[in-house]
Amino acid sequence: MKTGLFVGFILLLVPLQTTVLGSISPFGIRPDLCLIAACLIGFLTGQVQGLIMGFFLGFVQDLFSASDLWLNTITKSGVGFFAGLIARNLANAASHSAFLVVAVFSVFSGVVFMVSSRVGMDIGDVLLGFPSILLPQALFDGLVAIAAYWVATRWTPEASSF
Amino acid sequence: MIGRVRPLFLWSTSTRRLVVGLVIIALVLLFLLPRQTQFLLQQVGKPVADVVSVPLEMMADVDRGVRNWWNQYIALQGIYEQNRDLQVKVQNLEGELNQLREQALASQRLTALLDFQEESAMTTLAARVIGRSASNWYHGVVLNKGEDDGVAVEMGVVTPAGIVGHIVKVASSTSIALLITDPNVAVTGLIQRTRDEGIVQGTAQGFVRMKYIPPLAAVKEGDTVVTSGLTGGFPRGLLIGQVLTVGEREGDLFQTAHVAPVVDFGKLEEVLIVLPPPSSESTESIGNILTSQEKKPKDS
Repeated sequence: MKTGLFVGFILLLVPLQTTVLGSISPFGIRPDLCLIAACLIGFLTGQVQGLIMGFFLGFVQDLFSASDLWLNTITKSGVGFFAGLIARNLANAASHSAFLVVAVFSVFSGVVFMVSSRVGMDIGDVLLGFPSILLPQALFDGLVAIAAYWVATRWTPEASSF
Repeated sequence: MIGRVRPLFLWSTSTRRLVVGLVIIALVLLFLLPRQTQFLLQQVGKPVADVVSVPLEMMADVDRGVRNWWNQYIALQGIYEQNRDLQVKVQNLEGELNQLREQALASQRLTALLDFQEESAMTTLAARVIGRSASNWYHGVVLNKGEDDGVAVEMGVVTPAGIVGHIVKVASSTSIALLITDPNVAVTGLIQRTRDEGIVQGTAQGFVRMKYIPPLAAVKEGDTVVTSGLTGGFPRGLLIGQVLTVGEREGDLFQTAHVAPVVDFGKLEEVLIVLPPPSSESTESIGNILTSQEKKPKDS
């Protein structure tokens, strides 16, 4: 049952990202649902779960993205794993912690994509990605993460103390 | 320590170790040999993409339905439909006019008719846009036609108005097309009036510019830019856009022009994938050549 949910989650998140989010993207910026999911799963359930979910979410996302077939797989795995490691060292977590962790990892992931998608271009063009995509997306990802964190922590009885 | 939420999957220790081990091995291979593992990932990814494309198409239908409902019933029903019909009509007429003009110019220059046919004959396959690329860093769209329909990487994607981009990834039933506004796409273009060539490429800001225009070319605002047919994927004479501004800095070896694409990439719904012309058609008559711009959709 759990594995079915896990597979269903992976199979539905990327279609949601490519279809519905296209219609509700302010200034052309969409939140990266897979990054938010990998990060929050790592953050809330541990680094191993974050690594595994990040790996599979990133792989499926790579299939429906114009990027190379490894960028999302590696970055999402890393994000899930390191979010789990950070959570191990936090005494208390709240929605603002989730915001910060997701926003920071969004910036990290964005830098990787910015460099890889702008190979051979003027440095000015590359750096334009910061104000036009990277920072707005990090902010957007962080805000969506607050909502997702709120939902995740209220759906699970173990998290009622949050 | 956090980790107070119930885990998503409760595997036994041995299964968990196996999965983690496989994931780590895969990540190490991907990290160390990213290019070499592309083929393997593509093979593994195709069946996965097929499975994911089922909910994707369903969600695309729901999304389309909700958008249509909103546009037609909430936001000025009659005017929207009328405007949309007129826009489609204008785009079609512009495309036809442009291709006719291109044919006339080609005839005037006594281009070899057979070569002209090979360059301009288009066999196309209609495809529906079912999603946007799953990353903000690439301007791409997901199409509902894939390898099973004869789609391959590097094929051009057009609409009746002009060019859209080209295919960069193919699964069995879906494909990803990178738009001309993406910096990773470059197409050889031609200023229709002056016949000067250049490279049309997307920019980081999501615009289009034409680079490497000869310094003495008398390019001006409003000039039409079409495909030159020198790069694969697109026949000669397809509309790309119109010159907005021409930038020439002192000391530059070439001119650069900013181009406004004719296609509205935000509203792409259906596109045509340009298939390579069948070799048997190379002996078609001149009469066919003069009407060779017609499209032959295999499937809609």
